Amino acid sequence: YQPLKEDQILLSDCASSLAVQAYLRMCGLPVQVAYRANAEYMSPSGKIPFIHVGNQVVSELGPIVQFTKAKGHSLSDGLDDIQRAEMKAYMELVNNMLLTAELYIQWCDDATAAEISRPRYSSPYSWPLSNILAYQKQWEVRRKMNAIGWGGKTLEQVYEDVSQCCQALSQRLGTQPFFFNKQPTELDALVFGHLFTILTTRLTSTELAERIKSYSNLLSFCRRIEQTYFEDKTS
Amino acid sequence: CPSVYSLDPLPMQGPELGVQADDIEAPDIEQEPKQEVLENKDVVVQRVHIDGLGRTKDDVLTYEIAGVFRAKNLIDVMRKSHEARQKLLRLGIFRKVEVVIDTSRGEDALPNGLDVTFEVTELRRMTGSYNTMVGNNEGSMVLGLKLPNVFGRAEKMTFQFSYGTKETSYGLSFFKPQPGHFERNISLNVYKVTGQFPWSSLRETDRGISTELSFPVWKTSQTLKWEGVWRELGCLARTASFAVREESGHSLKSSLSHSMVIDTRNSSILPRKGGLLKIHQELAGYTGGDASFLKEDFEIQLNKTLFWDSVLSASLWGGLLLPIGDKPTSIADRFYLGGPTSIRGFSMYSMGPQSEGDYLGGEGYWAGGLHLYTPLPFRPGRGGFGDLFRTHFFLNAGNLCNLNYGEGPKAHLKKLAECIRWSYGLGIVLRLGNIARLELNYCIPMGVQSGDRICDGVQFGAGIRFL
Repeated sequence: YQPLKEDQILLSDCASSLAVQAYLRMCGLPVQVAYRANAEYMSPSGKIPFIHVGNQVVSELGPIVQFTKAKGHSLSDGLDDIQRAEMKAYMELVNNMLLTAELYIQWCDDATAAEISRPRYSSPYSWPLSNILAYQKQWEVRRKMNAIGWGGKTLEQVYEDVSQCCQALSQRLGTQPFFFNKQPTELDALVFGHLFTILTTRLTSTELAERIKSYSNLLSFCRRIEQTYFEDKTS
Repeated sequence: CPSVYSLDPLPMQGPELGVQADDIEAPDIEQEPKQEVLENKDVVVQRVHIDGLGRTKDDVLTYEIAGVFRAKNLIDVMRKSHEARQKLLRLGIFRKVEVVIDTSRGEDALPNGLDVTFEVTELRRMTGSYNTMVGNNEGSMVLGLKLPNVFGRAEKMTFQFSYGTKETSYGLSFFKPQPGHFERNISLNVYKVTGQFPWSSLRETDRGISTELSFPVWKTSQTLKWEGVWRELGCLARTASFAVREESGHSLKSSLSHSMVIDTRNSSILPRKGGLLKIHQELAGYTGGDASFLKEDFEIQLNKTLFWDSVLSASLWGGLLLPIGDKPTSIADRFYLGGPTSIRGFSMYSMGPQSEGDYLGGEGYWAGGLHLYTPLPFRPGRGGFGDLFRTHFFLNAGNLCNLNYGEGPKAHLKKLAECIRWSYGLGIVLRLGNIARLELNYCIPMGVQSGDRICDGVQFGAGIRFL
């Protein structure tokens, strides 16, 4: 379940959603995507996306991975402990860097916030509720940014951080098809989700996408996963 | 009992007539012959004044006391003064009103002229209050702040904060009656209300503004209201059903509603005679907002006293919710049925469409009740405390369901008529003042459909509005 694709969904949510979709497809599980304007409020933790299986509701990639593991589907069984620890570390990196950067660009950068984030976030609601909810979300994200220390960063610094993150990922990937051997893992799903979304989402400036494009192996990685698991999807 | 001094027709020294208005009806005159003189004597009310006004503006009061001028004899003066005093008290701006009737003095005093003076004490500018309230099966603490007569024309501003077992809320309201016509009034409210509904695993927070206009038309009382509410729905627990989870989120409702009430009962709790007709409709969506529907509901009650001080009471409730446009109706707008205040024998609002134990409410319903109230057997405590209790035998029936609006009205009626839930039983009713009542019943529910939750046996209920 995720917010409305065409009008409402924002970059960070789309990235998380795509990551979960990729993961589930990699596991070979059938996935159906449902679009709801109130997906964020439906989710038990308040974060998108969430899955509804039987009468269970699980949200966010981490718990979803745990959930599928408990049901017997897992992508990281073939890894030994060191690799698993490494994978967790990289996933943390992506979450802390890429996801936070996405949130920052969406809500803390005034131009993006005014032109894209606020209108999109409030599109299912009528005035004046739309304004109230959009500003409420903006204040919430900005408060969180301040709490983790990103409040003082400038856009340039954020772009730099993203570049560094991509560099680390690029180095780890090297020339392999996936991050760990030849099998995809949840890390691949997560990285794909974020990078693909950044590359394909229209923002006020293409700076972010350009920075990622400078790492060609990441580009081909994204394309490969897209072709393998999302053949029916048009980019 | 008032002591009435004889009124000397000679305009020399008229002793003052201080009268407690409640006892005006039968003036106690000492001497027979004088009584006739007083009653038949024509008087002219020359002056009516009001003493003790501070911030109240005069023009509001002239309407209330105008009647006194028209009195023709002494008894009439006393009666009209009593009426005027009631009207002044009804404005809610005076703590005390006393009437003083005296002979006219001064140069232009007529021999049979009278001066009527209303001595009033205004309420303080701001009063605080602390109450406990009993609503429909919940109790709450209410802290209030009231500013009566804010601008001098009986406007009232109140602020209320209520902390209850189920709800926490606050509200600010401003009330202004039309000078001279107290039943025509307008009020403006701003509020935030939180509610928890465990029968649906739902939590609702409403923040809204509303404005209401009331006026009487012939024998009815009409109210027009516009309301704008920001509703936030959420799940009460992680185990809430998915159907309820799907309703979570924010929505804005902007609606116009109209209601008409005809109430000829002698009391609103345990009436002995008379009837009540209340029709209410609400149209949402045409003045903005997300919710879009037309909602109708009505309430009828008829009472008749039978032999031996017992009262037969029949009531019927019904309602319909029609969504406009293609959006489905929201759980916050639907009707709920069941519980000690409607169909006894069933758990609170636990009837009708449900999903995994959470009751979702229905778009159409009807409910009827037939009661026979009798005094307690053997009439203990008669004339005092015992009069507050009554035993009652009841029969309740009703149905609640969702309607498929593609079919015609005949299909709807058929749907509401099948699978009727009903219950019967007896119990004791306690009357609390003029506002609420408590009930302790033994109920036997019948016609229970799968999914309903029943409460057979002893059931306790407290509230204001009972079926």
